[in-house]
Amino acid sequence: MDSFETKVVRGVTLRKDPAREACFQIAETDDQMISWPDWTEESKRERIHRHMNNEMSTTEVAAQCLCDFPDADWELRMELARQVWDEGRHAMGLYRRLKELGGRKGEFPIANFEWAVSSYLDSVIGRITVMNRTFEAGTMDLMAFIPDRWREHGDPQTAELLDAIAADEIQHVRFANHWVHKMCAENKRNLIKVAQAVRFMNVAQEALAPAAGVTNLAGVAVEDVTQSAPINVADRQLADFTDEEISALLRQHGMESVVINERKSALS
Amino acid sequence: MNVKRRADTVGTLRFVSVFLMETLASWIPATPEMEVKILFSRQVWRMAQQADRLGRRARELRAPLHYSRPPQRDFLAAFKQLAAVTDTVDRIDAFHDIALSALAAEYKVYLTETDRLTDEPTVVICNQALEEIKIMQRERQEWGSEIPKARATDSGALKAVRQAIAATKEMVDRNEQAA
Repeated sequence: MDSFETKVVRGVTLRKDPAREACFQIAETDDQMISWPDWTEESKRERIHRHMNNEMSTTEVAAQCLCDFPDADWELRMELARQVWDEGRHAMGLYRRLKELGGRKGEFPIANFEWAVSSYLDSVIGRITVMNRTFEAGTMDLMAFIPDRWREHGDPQTAELLDAIAADEIQHVRFANHWVHKMCAENKRNLIKVAQAVRFMNVAQEALAPAAGVTNLAGVAVEDVTQSAPINVADRQLADFTDEEISALLRQHGMESVVINERKSALS
Repeated sequence: MNVKRRADTVGTLRFVSVFLMETLASWIPATPEMEVKILFSRQVWRMAQQADRLGRRARELRAPLHYSRPPQRDFLAAFKQLAAVTDTVDRIDAFHDIALSALAAEYKVYLTETDRLTDEPTVVICNQALEEIKIMQRERQEWGSEIPKARATDSGALKAVRQAIAATKEMVDRNEQAA
């Protein structure tokens, strides 16, 4: 793997941002972003704009894996190449929708956190653990309800677009699950790489987390616009998370009752 | 063209396809323009699929699965020069115009030299690759609305790449040690 440029944000060394057009303003932390909890036209455009850049960022992470790990198994490289194409189409679909809603590139600040963390890692298993099994799987959880929110706010077109994107993401998480399990079974040292990757991601997330009461550039408290969602059990199962992994995630999110209810409904 | 020679050419075409896939992939984070990144992302997947088909065919020609054989030294040097261009328009045209044209020429040479019946599985792969090359070259002109047009005259870097590739004689290295 070639050396790369880095940046330091709140004491954490991360990979330097990928190239962006001059119209974009790059934020390092949530307080440098603009977002609103409501669903005005401007807020809708910001949501799409932010998602568009996230898809671009994921395209870049997968593409960088193809360059940085030429000796990775060819079948894994094929999955990554396919992901590059998928994420690029997602970014383009969101850009098309942004323009239909009267928006433009660079209308709001963007952040490349997922790139900066994932692409800093020096192993392909570390990157797919963080990018696909964590960030993308987290998006999968959000996507279980976000399309419906768009429908509720009178935009079925965006809802359909997001639903199509969410379907693709399941495969990106699935192949990461497959390869992480396979590589760990083949070589126990890969377990250490997975653990190191997760630890690095947690350190970065903790360092960059907003302090209580901090507001973003729109004057909105960051905690009021932070997105979170319950674990999307159905899609995580489709993405081949094991039952044990899903149960552990549910416990981690304080959702043991959901585990119990799921089991009860499975038995009824 | 005997089976060994077919395998060597298929392995070389695969090497070049993977090289181009990696080149495009490296340009995606390094190129600022969003639509250009997305254009490259489309071609990454196409080059990967071409490499995959060639790699599977190699095994049917007594070579290892996904056999990759480096091309002639001057050809590889010219392609490395191509991968090193930094300007956005140069990158777009280095791939769509120069690299794909060179690759298409090799596929066409192969089709004229092989036996179209006994080597029909490779012929199918070559024809599919040529069709995809046409699609990629058409996309360079027609896809998106923000892809910069080609310059009326080549930049110095692009001209040098064009000359370097034109100066190469043959892509496939027939030397036994190349494998």
